[in-house]
Amino acid sequence: MIAVLGLVVGVVAGLLVRPEVPAVVEPYLPIAVVAALDAVFGGLRAMLDGIFDDKVFVVSFLSNVVVAALIVFLGDKLGVGAQLSTGVVVVLGIRIFSNAAAIRRHVFRA
Amino acid sequence: MSEHDEKRAEEQGDPREERQQGRVESGNRLRKELPQEVSASVPAAQDAPKTDPKPEPETDPRTDPEPEPEADPEPRLTGRQRLVQGLWPPRVSRAQLIVAVLLFGLGFGLAVQVASNSDSDSALRGARQEDLVRILDELDDRTQRLEDEKQGLEKQRDELENSSDQAEEARKQTIEKERQLGILAGTVAAQGPGITMTIEDTKGTVEADMLLDAIQELRAAGAEAIQVNGVRVVAGTYLTDSGKGVSVDGNKINAPYRFKVIGKPQDLEPALNIPGGVVQTLEKEQATVTIERSTKIVVDALRAAKRPDYARSSSQ
Repeated sequence: MIAVLGLVVGVVAGLLVRPEVPAVVEPYLPIAVVAALDAVFGGLRAMLDGIFDDKVFVVSFLSNVVVAALIVFLGDKLGVGAQLSTGVVVVLGIRIFSNAAAIRRHVFRA
Repeated sequence: MSEHDEKRAEEQGDPREERQQGRVESGNRLRKELPQEVSASVPAAQDAPKTDPKPEPETDPRTDPEPEPEADPEPRLTGRQRLVQGLWPPRVSRAQLIVAVLLFGLGFGLAVQVASNSDSDSALRGARQEDLVRILDELDDRTQRLEDEKQGLEKQRDELENSSDQAEEARKQTIEKERQLGILAGTVAAQGPGITMTIEDTKGTVEADMLLDAIQELRAAGAEAIQVNGVRVVAGTYLTDSGKGVSVDGNKINAPYRFKVIGKPQDLEPALNIPGGVVQTLEKEQATVTIERSTKIVVDALRAAKRPDYARSSSQ
């Protein structure tokens, strides 16, 4: 419950504060957000499975974000940033979908 | 996260697996309870423990781990129950707080990204370099195309302006010419400096040829518009004697004959007064001639324009 509250508060704060995104972080923020979404879906599924562990969640959340940003950064340096970020988004999207499917099975039994 | 899931699943076992196993175990139990009766089900029941550690992959691709029997007592809870339990009542625990912090970060980033993405003016801010270069190239091309189009249109506009200027000029000239010709042809009124000549003819001795002489003399002196007693004198004017008076173009006029003449007064008056000229001839016939110079003579007698029957303009 507190976690959900944290998400809501974060969204509201982001909308209210509207901070200027630094130019350095700018290309990585969308990918990082998608990676974090993937981590959150994974965590939700683990919770439904009854195997949730906050330490694992924190580590996977942060490492997901860092690795995704790193891949995009590397891609930009190699000149294939657009393609690589597309690839990252596709992979994360697939994972989100499979996690969502697992969550759905738990919640709706279907 | 799914690595994490898998690891955890390996460690603790998937509840679905748990349930599967439970089912299988119940089958085993059934077998133990009823060993002799259902002989047909024995091979299936014997198969079941073998397949147990390796669950069928097509039903659940994510559950490769083999379930372990020493799972915590929670497997009795379904995922839905766990979700409800996590949501309500709210419990302040370390895990909840940490997750809340992380989710706060996620929501914040999400909102910031969405907000910065929906700003139309900063739509290019998140774009990467090659996209920007491509967009710039496209814009350059578009600018070039529009520039070309603009030049073409400007050229067209100039041409149209020129031609309309020319048309306007031609129209003005035509109007001017029409006026000039109208003055000559007597179709428009004219005004300007000139003289007024009045011929008093008390004895009735003035004849048409004398008036014609006067008109010829005036024309020779540069008269541009002449009218006699309200009759415009033009190129085709003829004068005939008519009883006591004179007929000009068929209009009978009587003395005194008043000539209104537009022209240079300094030329017209001496031309009439030259020795042996018009004035002397008329005075010999006992007529009195008075000539007045004026800076403004109005010749307002008009003549209808007549379209020639046979003569056609040979210009053009």
